[in-house]
Amino acid sequence: METPSPYSLLAELTYRCPLQCPYCSNPLELDRFSRELETDCWKRVLGEASALGVVQVHFSGGEPLLRDDLEELVSHARAEDLYCHLITSGVKADHERLEQLKEAGLDAIQISLQDSRQAENDWMAGARSFDIKQSAVQAARQLGFPVTLNIVLHRHNLGQLEEMIELARQWQVDKLELAHVQYAGWALRNRAALLPTAEMVTDAAAIVEKAREQLAGTMEIVHVLPDYFQEFPKACMHGWGRVFLTVSPDGAVLPCQTAREIPGLQIPTVETGSLAEIWFQDPLFQRFRGTDWMPEPCRSCDRREIDFGGCRCQAFLLTGDLAATDPVCHLSPQRSLVDDAIAESETAGKELVFRR
Amino acid sequence: MTHQREPERPLLAPGVRYRWDATREQHQLLFPEGLLVLNESGAAIVQLCDGRTTDEVICELESQVSDGNPADDVHPFLARLTEKGLLRDGNS
Repeated sequence: METPSPYSLLAELTYRCPLQCPYCSNPLELDRFSRELETDCWKRVLGEASALGVVQVHFSGGEPLLRDDLEELVSHARAEDLYCHLITSGVKADHERLEQLKEAGLDAIQISLQDSRQAENDWMAGARSFDIKQSAVQAARQLGFPVTLNIVLHRHNLGQLEEMIELARQWQVDKLELAHVQYAGWALRNRAALLPTAEMVTDAAAIVEKAREQLAGTMEIVHVLPDYFQEFPKACMHGWGRVFLTVSPDGAVLPCQTAREIPGLQIPTVETGSLAEIWFQDPLFQRFRGTDWMPEPCRSCDRREIDFGGCRCQAFLLTGDLAATDPVCHLSPQRSLVDDAIAESETAGKELVFRR
Repeated sequence: MTHQREPERPLLAPGVRYRWDATREQHQLLFPEGLLVLNESGAAIVQLCDGRTTDEVICELESQVSDGNPADDVHPFLARLTEKGLLRDGNS
């Protein structure tokens, strides 16, 4: 089967971030990856992405606004005919900076929020940031950007779900993305303290459903369900090496941003070859592409091209086998690993380790 | 769903962009975290959403093609884009 071109590039410009969220997707061992690509190298990467068929670039991090060359990179990406989406904590996103980004050609903005309440938000973020985030949303709206507010959900903030929806409505964002924690990296370390109960998850789904009906036509609500509580795994990255690729701050080219911490993988970098060479030929990208690599029960499953065997990183992190069926799947012989984690979290301490 | 009225002067909503994808040879409408692939007729309509009225869009299409009735395509297409939040009204 011919390999399709990717649609989406996650450009992680830096791992630096003023916040310290305990579910951060940055690597745990940050010191190993502290080098950052220079402006000219990113420009080359953006050009290669466009030539490869990438349509949208998500400028992310860490906090991408910490890069002084963000405007230059956005401008270059627009010249390469890429749709430019900024994923930011909102810290450093003042009106002046966003105006410069608007002029550079930025298309849309996603701003994160940790909680609907100031004190809880600032506690979870590890820094005073609630007011700054609110100002960032206002500035983005004034400048005419489509704004998505992204809130990561977990045990400590699910009780405020209705408040979060009301806040997003008051802030007049176009889209509210409510995404349950994905348990890799820092979030896996803090799993016992972050996992909600099954009851909380069910209640949340009902609240979102009701709000969707009430707000239809004014604000879109995306609800990313917590896979631990589902019957089937998430279609992680819409399949390995199929739609997405990530370039990390130091130039690592990855099928997903979490994969870099899996030991023993030979990870290509932007110096290894062009993005096209890596996408089509690199063994890492070939490894879980399609369905030939799948073990049972995935191999003969009707859903093998719906969820693609689930998340490779999660399979590795929970079972130690990168090629195992995602243990979230109720058909996985190792589903008990997930059920046990849920059961243990009900009695475990709720102390969090904040990202350093 | 609340029913949203089709705009009198259809314009692409903020953050929505038309693009020709040379790699895939397809017309696309891009928006945050998504895209819609357009057929030839959809692409022709979208490129006329520049502040003129829907009737003017139809008139222009009629002048471009000799057969068919563009009005049959334009209204349902614009209604679909409106429902997806991809259009705004140049009048408001």
